[in-house]
Amino acid sequence: MRVIVEGLSKTYRDGSGQDVVALDGIGLTVEPEEFVAILGPSGCGKSTLLNVVGGLLGATGGEVAFEGERRAGQPLTATVFQEFALFPWRTARGNVEFGLEELGVPAAERRARAARFIAMTGLEGFERKYPHQLSGGMRQRVGIARALAVEPAVLLMDEPFSALDAQTRTLMMEELLGIWERTRTSILYVTHNIQEAVYMADRVVVLSRRPGRVLEVVPVELKRPRHEGQMGEAGFLQASERIWGLIKSQAQAALVEERR
Amino acid sequence: MSCARIGILALAWSLLAICRVVPAAHADSPVKIGALKLTSSAPLFVGMDKGFFKEFGIEPELVFFQAAAPIATALATGQIDVGATGITAALYNIVLGGEQIWLVADKGREWPGYPLTGIVVQKELYDGGLRSIADLKGKRIGITTLGSTFHYSLGNILEKSGLKLVDVRVVPLQTMPAALEALKGKQVDAILLPQPFPGTAEAQGFGKILFWAGDLHPWQTVAVFFSKKFAADRRRAVAFMKGYVKASRYYYDAVLVQKDGRPAPGPHYDDVVRITAKYTEAKPEVIRLGFPYQDRNARLLVTDIERQMAWWTENGFMKRTIPLKGIVDTSFVEEAAKAVPEQ
Amino acid sequence: MAVERVAAHDRASFLLRADHRLLRVGALAGLLVLWEALTRVGWIPALFLPSPLGVIRELGEMAASGQLFVHLDASLRRLLLGFALGAVAGVAVGVVTGFFSRAEAVGQPLIAATFPIPKIALLPLLILWLGLGEPSKIAVIALGVFFPMAINTYAGVREADPLLVRAAVAFGAGRWSIIRKVILPSALPMIFAGLKLGAGTALLLLVAAEMIAADSGIGFLVLHAGNIMDTTKLMVGIVCLSLLGVLSHWVLTRGERLAVPWRCTA
Repeated sequence: MRVIVEGLSKTYRDGSGQDVVALDGIGLTVEPEEFVAILGPSGCGKSTLLNVVGGLLGATGGEVAFEGERRAGQPLTATVFQEFALFPWRTARGNVEFGLEELGVPAAERRARAARFIAMTGLEGFERKYPHQLSGGMRQRVGIARALAVEPAVLLMDEPFSALDAQTRTLMMEELLGIWERTRTSILYVTHNIQEAVYMADRVVVLSRRPGRVLEVVPVELKRPRHEGQMGEAGFLQASERIWGLIKSQAQAALVEERR
Repeated sequence: MSCARIGILALAWSLLAICRVVPAAHADSPVKIGALKLTSSAPLFVGMDKGFFKEFGIEPELVFFQAAAPIATALATGQIDVGATGITAALYNIVLGGEQIWLVADKGREWPGYPLTGIVVQKELYDGGLRSIADLKGKRIGITTLGSTFHYSLGNILEKSGLKLVDVRVVPLQTMPAALEALKGKQVDAILLPQPFPGTAEAQGFGKILFWAGDLHPWQTVAVFFSKKFAADRRRAVAFMKGYVKASRYYYDAVLVQKDGRPAPGPHYDDVVRITAKYTEAKPEVIRLGFPYQDRNARLLVTDIERQMAWWTENGFMKRTIPLKGIVDTSFVEEAAKAVPEQ
Repeated sequence: MAVERVAAHDRASFLLRADHRLLRVGALAGLLVLWEALTRVGWIPALFLPSPLGVIRELGEMAASGQLFVHLDASLRRLLLGFALGAVAGVAVGVVTGFFSRAEAVGQPLIAATFPIPKIALLPLLILWLGLGEPSKIAVIALGVFFPMAINTYAGVREADPLLVRAAVAFGAGRWSIIRKVILPSALPMIFAGLKLGAGTALLLLVAAEMIAADSGIGFLVLHAGNIMDTTKLMVGIVCLSLLGVLSHWVLTRGERLAVPWRCTA
């Protein structure tokens, strides 16, 4: 599935009644089976962009379109949230099955499909546990399994690992890449971490401070499957420096700006 | 003056002040009489209004209650000296429970030909054919409290017609005015209440007096009680009783005399009606319907006391009966009756 | 300058709270023993405060004769029916006013206006409308339970994590799916808090209702025993009421643990 974003703008009214332009004329494309990262300083509207693509927010201008073949009943998108957003009253399996329930999938088939992704995300043995009984990394695995289980055309991930500690984050990144190699879903991945973006993505869309505009789309010339060793390679460092160069001044300004 | 001196003087002064208050326990203090605003309390009202108690050196103070049971409690705790009320299961249980009160004189009996407690039914039900005790089967009967004199009357009257208490629905309504209201509001089919309530129900048109309890089952219903402390104060207790016996005779001669089975009002009839209406706040026409019977010299029907205790015990309201000498003391009324001259 | 060597010591030890299990049990037992002793010696008149053993004996007799169970059955029936009615209605209203803004605009002022009315005061009115029998008793209990349930459920619904609602929408949930699968489970802790509040009110109203025109039930037992001055039976009634209160609290706490395993509330 290809995702085409054209001239996307989003304006909203803040608490004091003033108009805030979150996104200004965003244009980007996600090719089928591509892993695209969106990166930018605080307040650049990257989460807003993801929410519009995911149908959780309306656009004020421009358009988001999906092009390509779709299986019957296949949802366009599924989201993995930064704060996990798991239902605490459901077990891990219950959470994974949620999307399938809403799609009307009968119980036996739900079980089977959920089981596949539970296995894929390394949750075997933990199906009956409640989120409060799981560690942060395990919880996000559930979040990922839940999104994968509906087998969406596009997977949206909103800073999925920023709530985890550094070690877990590194391990989870590896895992995600492993899963993606197997499913090859198009992924739109929001992050503020340059290393993360370069390590995971095929291309990195760099956004400016508010109002968010596309500064540049930086391609990542690294072979797949990715591995840790590549972090020292020239291609990795070049891309990282390029991106940092783009947003350093933006980040400094964002630091002192009041958060609206 | 030093602080210590002032302190001692203040202390002495307060002690003196207290001493002035303490003598309240002597002969001059009023005798507290707990009673209900009923026609059956007429002899007491007469005694107060005509100064019979004062004649014998007693200062009476009437304390009104809404039902008989609280009077029993007040007697047990010594808050009143004399109780003039129905003999209830509560009273017997107080004595069984270890607190002494004494049954000393008559103040009203359910007696044939004399109205005390009336069985009042809804006017509509009467018009619709409810005419006998047997017709009360399955009906809702309002009384004040369980264990009251009305409960006793009802139980015995039902038994005489071959019914039992379980054959009707007894509805406790706590106070007499509430029971009257319940009949008016049709929440119960019949009530048992003493005069003047039955008269009022008929006068206001929502009730019809089916029977007077005394015509169906006579018994020693209302009595005068002494608290333990008051009974021990022999001089004052007998003095009170003298005033009461005099009032009792006045009452009897005025309203209870009958010739050939018909009431023959005595010379002071209107006076007694007036006094009763004044204290009960009921209309004189209602009072004139009739006065409850009591012995001219206020003597108790002692044998009935035993019968009552047996019935309560049989029906599970008392654990066991009390020997008569543990609850009845007729010496006061005997002494007073002998001492008070006839007028 | 001399070199000192001082050991660190625990300055917070006085904040530790021991369980004092022995004292807990001992205090209650000791009180009962003292009470029994004072009654036997005669310092406490038996009529005014029956001895614990006397109360236990009476309880046994009433159980043996079956009388106790007649009263317990009547009271429990009224309590459970009234409680169920009030709880279901309360949760429904709470969910509707919490989720739908129009319902909130209509419902909230109504509830705020009627909630402060002491339900006991409504009892005579209910008797007038529904008669002296069971319906008025069950109605007053239901009313007493309705309000804490409606108010607590409303609060629980409003408190639902917007992130979770968004996540549900992201996975395709519609309005009713959200209410059933996100809002209600989310509100369960508040609902249980409301149930516990309601249980206390229900018991209070049960006794009040049974004291006005009933011929069975624990409240009736207490009233009746008081009327005939059988203070031992009176104490049995009071003990039963206390046990009912403890039992209902225990049941609700266990129920909460089962229904809300993801939150450990007291």
